[in-house]
Amino acid sequence: MAMFSQNPLMNGPNYSFSDSPRVAAPEGTRQHRFDPYTDNGGSTLAIAGADFTIMAGDTRLTSGYSINSRFHPKVFKIGGTTADQKDATLVLSVVGFAADGEALKERLDSICKMYRYRHGKPMSVKACAQRLSTILYQKRFFPYYAYAILGGLDEEGKGAVYSYDPVGSYEREQCRAGGAAASLIMPFLDNQVNFKNQHIPGSGEGHALQERERRPLTRQEVEILVKDAFDGAVERHIEVGDGLQMMVITAAGIEEIVLPLKKD
Amino acid sequence: MDHRPQAWGRPRDDVYGAYDPSYFHNSGPKTATQSPIVTGTSVIAIKFKDGVVIAADNLASYGSLARFTDVKRLRPFLNASVVGFGGDVSDMQYLDRHLKELAIDVAYITPEASEQTKDFTAANLFTYLQKVMYHRRNHFDPLWNQILVAGLDNDDAPFLASVDLRGTSFTSPSLATGFGAALAQPIMRKYAATEEDAAKLTREQAVDVVKECMKVLFYRDARSLDRYSIAVVTKEGVELKEDEQLERQSWAFAERIKGYGTQTV
Amino acid sequence: MTSIGTGYDLSNSIFSPDGRNFQVEYAVKAVENGGTSIGIRCKDGIVLAVEKIVTSKLLKPNANKRIATVDRHLGVVYSGMVPDGRHFVDRARDEARSWRDTFKTPIPTSDLASRLGGYLQAYTLYSSVRPFGITAIVGGFDSELEAPVDGEVGNGPSCGAGGKNKDKKHGGPFLYMIEPSGLYWGYYGAATGKGRQAAKAELEKLDLSGEGLTLEEAVKEAARIIYVAHDDSKDKDFELEMTWISGIDGPTKGFHQEVPKALKEEAERLAKKAIDDDDDEDEDEEKKEGGDGDKMEE
Repeated sequence: MAMFSQNPLMNGPNYSFSDSPRVAAPEGTRQHRFDPYTDNGGSTLAIAGADFTIMAGDTRLTSGYSINSRFHPKVFKIGGTTADQKDATLVLSVVGFAADGEALKERLDSICKMYRYRHGKPMSVKACAQRLSTILYQKRFFPYYAYAILGGLDEEGKGAVYSYDPVGSYEREQCRAGGAAASLIMPFLDNQVNFKNQHIPGSGEGHALQERERRPLTRQEVEILVKDAFDGAVERHIEVGDGLQMMVITAAGIEEIVLPLKKD
Repeated sequence: MDHRPQAWGRPRDDVYGAYDPSYFHNSGPKTATQSPIVTGTSVIAIKFKDGVVIAADNLASYGSLARFTDVKRLRPFLNASVVGFGGDVSDMQYLDRHLKELAIDVAYITPEASEQTKDFTAANLFTYLQKVMYHRRNHFDPLWNQILVAGLDNDDAPFLASVDLRGTSFTSPSLATGFGAALAQPIMRKYAATEEDAAKLTREQAVDVVKECMKVLFYRDARSLDRYSIAVVTKEGVELKEDEQLERQSWAFAERIKGYGTQTV
Repeated sequence: MTSIGTGYDLSNSIFSPDGRNFQVEYAVKAVENGGTSIGIRCKDGIVLAVEKIVTSKLLKPNANKRIATVDRHLGVVYSGMVPDGRHFVDRARDEARSWRDTFKTPIPTSDLASRLGGYLQAYTLYSSVRPFGITAIVGGFDSELEAPVDGEVGNGPSCGAGGKNKDKKHGGPFLYMIEPSGLYWGYYGAATGKGRQAAKAELEKLDLSGEGLTLEEAVKEAARIIYVAHDDSKDKDFELEMTWISGIDGPTKGFHQEVPKALKEEAERLAKKAIDDDDDEDEDEEKKEGGDGDKMEE
């Protein structure tokens, strides 16, 4: 070690070492070549009804043009007291980078569980929604690359859907599509759930044209709507397909439905 | 001649210029593995009614150089699971040592050998490995591997799952890493498209499918080898063969290959 | 107790004028109160056994293990103060782990014994510490395969430089006993604890240095010796705990493991039978002697 000490007292006059060490690496800072993110495709969808919420997602997991798995759920029950989540009251869907989605789900789940053990009651959707936003924002500078949607029933028993961007911006909505086919599904929902661009025939010309009056959809209607939305997405997006997983949240509990989608 | 010992054996300043000591100083960001160096190619695996068959060839490549031809990329764990590694070989060795230490830790708490595997199923091992991989990617210091874990789950049903350098994990009746995802997976999916199909396969059928896939991979993957390891994991434990030779190869198809795509002349 | 009142027994770091460290000798007394432990080195492996005195009916049977695994191929059993033994095992595990971290290969039994001997010895040097109240028996099976390296990927060259030497013998079973002084020797058969005298006498009757026993024979002998060494007049109830280590071709494949239930039960059955037969013989002899006496009177 004395050889490299740069200290003449320790090893005599230095020969070929220049006296002052250079501080910065000669080639400048090194580039990190590792990209910690990837997109695993897939799509999710949530619709709030009068007394129910339906959360849905396809079950395909892709990387590039490869299908990694035909059954990889994106929709999860959250905050149950047991491993099988049979007494859960909330549902989270995540889409984007699957590993981050999974990590986010597990964090929120353990937080909801802790809340439940401490307070003796399940977390409300409203509280959980705010907490999820905080979790996401805490990683503002190395975000969870996941589009989350949280669903449940609010304090009045009405269907509630909260949608998020990856850094925690959120709002309560009537319906929301996320993921690869969000841009395909969302306009369809605008039209079919919120009756956008639907008018009462013959009610007038131009501004006088009257909008069709909004009404809450029934559970059957929404289930069909969801299936139709995904059938459409599967047809036009290569990253969507294989299976459709639906969680129907009602006051009676959460019902899970799995339907086939095209596998091509 | 410079008579001071410090000068002996060193390049002369007047010829080579002063020595650049910045070489000794580690400045700039921490340099973790940022690209794989010595690599293994595909690992393939398929479930059958009583367990899982998994295989990988014995080659470690250095770029396009077939550098090491005797590399065991399937690692058994507690005689109950097999871990198959694709990607960087040094990271595989790190994980292998890590898993060996884990196995010793398991032996500390559970002295009875048969009890150990009850606690540490392939499913539990996989959960652990996924966390390790995701943790390393969170620290921008990834283990450059794609890993398959074969064995049984906590209900003694066949278990097969994959995790990669970013911590992305998934399961399927059949799985393949690297080139295998493109070449072997379609063949395996013919035999086990769904879990129900896989549950009908016999051990012999599953082994045959895997061997066929290894052959296809050797035909078409330039970074592959005809010597390979294959393991069958069932309730009875792990049966691992590490020095198998691809049988009944036929390169007759090669003569018909001209140029690319549909070109025939 | 010639030491009492002389003051030379009050500290570790002081010799008595006749060259003794009384603290260490007192530690040996602690060992002599502990349940008997034995180790047998046979031709194809190691057997460790301990007499676990049942101190309370409230203790769960077969829980609270006394034989510890240190590495895959290493086991430790000890007599004396159990908490000291637990710490000793922790240290042994640390040593084994750090050896692996440095050399990427399992620690040879001899090296582990050496390091642990050194560790115990250090506790005889300072007035601020007390020696370990245990005597430990360390058993291991060093792999007979050529230098298996952790994370090793291939078999290496088959001939030439770095090639395998076919006829070369590697590894094998090893047994060491480490005393509170730090003293350790390698043994064919080792015994410590309250029943050590009887156990040693039994071990000496076995042909361990010559042909050697097979593992199964050794398991049965070990069980019998623990039963023989047990003194029911002092301790009523005890449990037998046994582990073994074989080579890669043997039943444990080089691992330190508990003796399987069926074999252990069989060994215990034979042990009890041997004891009963012995007692019967003694009684017969007594009767005979008595008879003779009667005759004499006649």
